[in-house]
Amino acid sequence: MSDLTPYILYLLFAAGAVAVYFRMPRGKDSKLAAGAIFGIAALVGFFALLHTRIAAPVDSRWYFYLFSAIAIAAAARVVTHPRPIWSALYFILVVIAVAALLVLVGAEFVAIALVIVYAGAILVTYLFVIMLAQQSGSPMYDRRAREPFAAVVAGFLITGVIAGKIAESPPVALPLIELTSVAVGVETTSAGESDNTLAIGNLVMVRYVVALEIAGVLLLVAMIGAIALSRKKIPSEVFGESATPLGQLGKEVDPY
Amino acid sequence: MPGATEYIIVGAVLFALGAVGFLTRRNLIVMFLSTEVMFQGVVLNVVAFARFHHNLEGQAFALFLLVIAAVEAGLALGMIMLLYRRKRTLDADVWSMMRG
Repeated sequence: MSDLTPYILYLLFAAGAVAVYFRMPRGKDSKLAAGAIFGIAALVGFFALLHTRIAAPVDSRWYFYLFSAIAIAAAARVVTHPRPIWSALYFILVVIAVAALLVLVGAEFVAIALVIVYAGAILVTYLFVIMLAQQSGSPMYDRRAREPFAAVVAGFLITGVIAGKIAESPPVALPLIELTSVAVGVETTSAGESDNTLAIGNLVMVRYVVALEIAGVLLLVAMIGAIALSRKKIPSEVFGESATPLGQLGKEVDPY
Repeated sequence: MPGATEYIIVGAVLFALGAVGFLTRRNLIVMFLSTEVMFQGVVLNVVAFARFHHNLEGQAFALFLLVIAAVEAGLALGMIMLLYRRKRTLDADVWSMMRG
């Protein structure tokens, strides 16, 4: 492990930051092709660097490269795409790639829960709101980002501080675990199979049962809050528009 | 097999990308999508640490993170609909008079 690694990492993050800056919607002077080239170069360099650092070469590292590359590229597109509907679709790609990464470290239950809750439930809610509220065409506030340069510098600093500091430490070799077995927190069922879901269930229902109940109450509170918010009557402040069409959805409507 | 370090670096990159999106985008919906990207980075982080310490605490914590994300999405989208009904736009800059 040479001492140069953090500096190479900073350089790659800087290239990635330049890529995100170029891809930001900035009206006419967006440099899309240059942004794509910088982004691909940063990703390739990033994984080449990681490849030299991996302590224990196992075949599953190729899956790690593939899915983390998909996650990072799709996250960059979520942030930079001028159309919100495409951002939401790219976000589904991020969720699926992250779920695959979780499967690689033996967290099957969390991975499946992530896909069900995020790609299934939360994203559908987002798509509903986009359908209800998005104006046709591409409005001005989607085509011009706010202070892209300062934000990209801030993001570069966040990543540099976290990842650069971590990269200074020598690589940690985790014990080898084959893709097919769940060696983390193994519990065996009565049939003798190892089961990640069983182990998490034991942990959550025994040690963290109070936290689980509180989480349930929190969900209930949020549900009541969302219903109360959406039933409130809101007058439109837009000039020249009568409040009747959407305003009728408010208080005066009898429940059911 | 990549170790915890690589997972933490990827998580940090996702988190920073989400932060950049939250700061730059002016569409309220995309701003909250960016916070969900930040959540993904954090989930990756806690699960990697769970693996690093050979226990399941991080995975249980990730489940609670999912609960928080669902609550946040529900309330935030409800509020976005309220704001949209009032101003007929998703532009966050319209609400800049709420700055102190």
